[in-house]
Amino acid sequence: MQIRKGQRLPLAQLLPENLPDGSFQIQVGMTGLTTEVDFSCFGVDGDQKLADDRYMTFFNQPKTPCGSVSISLMNNRINGFYCTLSSLPASIDRLVITATIDGSETMSRVQSGFLRLVAADRPVAEFAFEGKDFHNEKALILGEFYRKDGAWRFCATGQGFDGGLPALVRHFGGEVADELPTDVAPARLSLEKKVAEAAPQLVDLAKKASISLEKKRLTDVVARVGLVLDASGSMTGQYRRGRVQEVVNRILPLAVHFDDDGELDVWAFSAKPLALPAATLSNYADYIDTVNGGWRKWRMLSYNNEPEVIKEVLAHYKDTAMPVFIIFISDGGVDQNAKIKKLLTEASAQLIFWQFVGIGGRNYGILEKLDTMSGRTVDNCGFFALDDLDSLSEQELYDRLLQELPSWFAEAKSKGIIN
Amino acid sequence: MAVSLSKGGNVNLSKEAPGLNKIQVGLGWDARVTDGAAFDLDASCFLVKADGKVRSDADFCFYNNKNVADGAVVHMGDNQTGDAEGDDETVKVELSKVPADVDKVVFSVTIHEADTRNQNFGQVSKAYIRIVNEENGTEIARFDLSEDASIETAMIFGEIYRHGTDWKFKAVGQGFAGGLGPLASSFGVNV
Repeated sequence: MQIRKGQRLPLAQLLPENLPDGSFQIQVGMTGLTTEVDFSCFGVDGDQKLADDRYMTFFNQPKTPCGSVSISLMNNRINGFYCTLSSLPASIDRLVITATIDGSETMSRVQSGFLRLVAADRPVAEFAFEGKDFHNEKALILGEFYRKDGAWRFCATGQGFDGGLPALVRHFGGEVADELPTDVAPARLSLEKKVAEAAPQLVDLAKKASISLEKKRLTDVVARVGLVLDASGSMTGQYRRGRVQEVVNRILPLAVHFDDDGELDVWAFSAKPLALPAATLSNYADYIDTVNGGWRKWRMLSYNNEPEVIKEVLAHYKDTAMPVFIIFISDGGVDQNAKIKKLLTEASAQLIFWQFVGIGGRNYGILEKLDTMSGRTVDNCGFFALDDLDSLSEQELYDRLLQELPSWFAEAKSKGIIN
Repeated sequence: MAVSLSKGGNVNLSKEAPGLNKIQVGLGWDARVTDGAAFDLDASCFLVKADGKVRSDADFCFYNNKNVADGAVVHMGDNQTGDAEGDDETVKVELSKVPADVDKVVFSVTIHEADTRNQNFGQVSKAYIRIVNEENGTEIARFDLSEDASIETAMIFGEIYRHGTDWKFKAVGQGFAGGLGPLASSFGVNV
């Protein structure tokens, strides 16, 4: 049956009588938004408060302690919840199904949406809604299952909050940290989630990256991310020992966060530059050993020619409308100082920030003096050196990588390089 | 113990509360907590003859016509948001003063601008209407609008009517399409 907005019904009227365990599925979906929608189920008490955080069921917490509510996935996205009301603790008075979005879109952009009850694999009831039911909401309560006079009822709520997830959390009695920008929670959720879906091995790194992004107030920044890998002869050991692959693993979450397409553009360079296929959450795992036949077949491992790869990167991003964050790995022996200096000085009015990272090498030449290099529109470079990739904790590494980016953004904005 | 009404049931008020003369009809709801237009519920009532029609337009008691039949029925005013403790709107009836040719008083609840605001009772939290003995504050009957009238926007809640020398109350619980205007017309009010 079709359920209308505001309609309240005994659940027994909607579900067939002899359901095994009284279990049913709630399916949810929305079209028309470019933003990804986050669906959650809040299990609240008689005061409508989320007294126990463990009863918020969502991607990162896929089921309640009692197992009565669990997420249902399709293509690694939540498409609903499995529900067994009979095993819910009595303290849980109500299950609230919500949808939230980040960014500038609002729920008025929804083309069509639904909350559907499915029992024994058959849809039995549906609440359909559309964007004109809403205005500026970024969080919606789609429907609620609640106890009344000893029985469960369902209400097609279809109301929400302009303030998105933070407003929803406050509605359920939760606290939202004031010192953080209000969009932090959803942004972090989405990075961790994106990674959790496609590359669960990277979740731990994604969490650490998220913390650094929050600290640097970079959660809502959109940028393309590129990685330049030194593949000169002296790097051979680093490649062979899997150290370069580790660099890719650590940088990839940043690309997934900053870049809409979640791709990390990668170059290797020795005497010549080599543009490699983008690293993504689906191909990253053995990237160094497999891409273009694996690193041994890249025809690298000669001397290091930084100017050529810098030129190629500049050419690649010549027409980009989006800021670009380049992480440039070097093991030193930098000797083309004049050329590098000239290229980076000329490039300082471009939308590119260069973060140079020295790993396990010596003699970084001009790279060490980039911060004080004069004659540039903005300070477009940063450099730090590590004896070894592991000489910093992963958390510290992200902090260092993102150290100078915020000031570049600020300066580039004030100079009109970024609109 | 108040009677939680279900549709169609009736109760003899004079027997429930012997000597009952003054009743208070209270309407309440929770203010909207989500973003969007406020919920504004209006209580109104119609003094009708045995044929179900008003004697005149003056027998339609609502927020713009608060005192009817020399104070037999008095509307205490409109709360536009539900943002208060206790009943948000009250209509008082003094049974002994109800004119003899008035056979019953019909109580209705409507949602103001329900269509343009796309609202119905089910969206309103904790909407109820209740009958209270004004003399001692005892609740005689209560009806939960949010639960039982969910997709309605106008609702005939119930009616008090003469039964010999007694007054009875009947839970009508019937939705009415179109809002207050058409509802008033159906009772013979020229709107």
